[in-house]
Amino acid sequence: MNPVLTVLAAASLTNVFPAIAPKNHYSFGGSNMLAAQIEQGAPVDLFASANTKLPQQLHSEGLVEKPVVFTRNELILIVPKSNPAGIHSVYDLRRSGVKLVVGTTGVPVGDYTRVVLHNLGLDGVLSNVVSRETDVREVLAKVALGEADAGFVYTTDARTVRGKVATIGIRRSAQPIVQYAVAVVKSSHHLAAARAFVKLLLAKPSQVKLRAAGFLARR
Amino acid sequence: MIRRAVVLGAALVALAFLALPIVAIFARSSFGHLSGGVVTDALVVSLKTTLVAQTLVLLFGTPTAWVLATHRFRGRSLVVTLVELPIVLPPAVAGVGLLAAFGRMGLLHTGLPFTQTAVVVAVAFVSGPLYVRQAIAAFEAVDETLVAASRTLGAGPAKTFFRVVLPLARGGLGAAEALAFARGLGEFGATIMFAGSLQGVTQTLPLAVYQEFDVNFTLAVTLGGLLVLVSAALLLTLKWLASSSTSPFRFALSSSS
Repeated sequence: MNPVLTVLAAASLTNVFPAIAPKNHYSFGGSNMLAAQIEQGAPVDLFASANTKLPQQLHSEGLVEKPVVFTRNELILIVPKSNPAGIHSVYDLRRSGVKLVVGTTGVPVGDYTRVVLHNLGLDGVLSNVVSRETDVREVLAKVALGEADAGFVYTTDARTVRGKVATIGIRRSAQPIVQYAVAVVKSSHHLAAARAFVKLLLAKPSQVKLRAAGFLARR
Repeated sequence: MIRRAVVLGAALVALAFLALPIVAIFARSSFGHLSGGVVTDALVVSLKTTLVAQTLVLLFGTPTAWVLATHRFRGRSLVVTLVELPIVLPPAVAGVGLLAAFGRMGLLHTGLPFTQTAVVVAVAFVSGPLYVRQAIAAFEAVDETLVAASRTLGAGPAKTFFRVVLPLARGGLGAAEALAFARGLGEFGATIMFAGSLQGVTQTLPLAVYQEFDVNFTLAVTLGGLLVLVSAALLLTLKWLASSSTSPFRFALSSSS
């Protein structure tokens, strides 16, 4: 009888994790918020982050076992289907009055967004930011609702609201390295089962599901 | 004797339970942290939006409460229930409701989200009903014979309202507003959903606490301490208003004295 694992996972894993292991209990949110919960002693078994920095940090604090990269992702610009601000390229974000929504600093998608903008020489568009959200799904919701003109999310998030948003790609050379890492929480009462979940994530069937959802090979 | 000890023990446990988080907030606060831009900006946004929202609450809420307190009509209890609904509504429901009504894609197609006005709207929506509800009680407690006397002595309805009713209800109205003020200052859920969160524009003190929780816990706790102090000051004002009321009546609040 396998124990039910409690998994804290990045918001961008909301759709794919339950497809891989439906029986676990999940709490999805901004990876930094989840890391803070583990630091506060949350009784959980696993932590899956949208970067390697946070699990690495928890590892050096002795709270989790060595993190393992299990998938990758890319950033994409989304606009509402109606495209009220008429945005057709990332450079249109420079126009004044564009309502841009991004992740706040500290949450992985927010940090990646700043890297992308910097790589594109578009640091200035941060002045068009109307809201800094605490996880990627909040950015997604504000754009899909049509309240914001544009937002940066992962390509996998954009797929979950097809029909509501249009996507604008970002050239590969401007993409940050978006690696997802999973780590077993040391205080877990189900260490063996938690380690088995990490193995499951790396196994072919799970990787196929991740690829089907738009994630990239872990490489 | 034993029964008394049990009662006292239960009361002590309850008081300790309520006091501990407050004590812990101050134990972990570091008011030297409060100099940063995040704090100043959040404080300014909170003060500005709260003042505007509460002015609107008083201007629109007072006549509303007066009408509901003095008129008996079919469907009145339905209207009163409607007024009370936002008080018990989960803030997240208020947030989606405001988006559905005032969002760009909402019923009224306004461009309110992400503006400071949106914060004012969210605060007014969740705190206004608290004021109106208590204000109705304050107006209902005004002695009708005094109002009738004012009218028979020749004062018009407007003069009677401003010279008789309002002074008599003042304490109750003040207490109602203090409660609404405190609730508005603590508004979180509807604001983050409807107005978003941007430092210096829409990020109020509670939103700053949430944002700093995982970045800088000490700052989050210290901001919490600041909110505790302001809220405590408001509660004390409220008790003072209730006990120094010029009206011979005590309204819905229990005085501390």
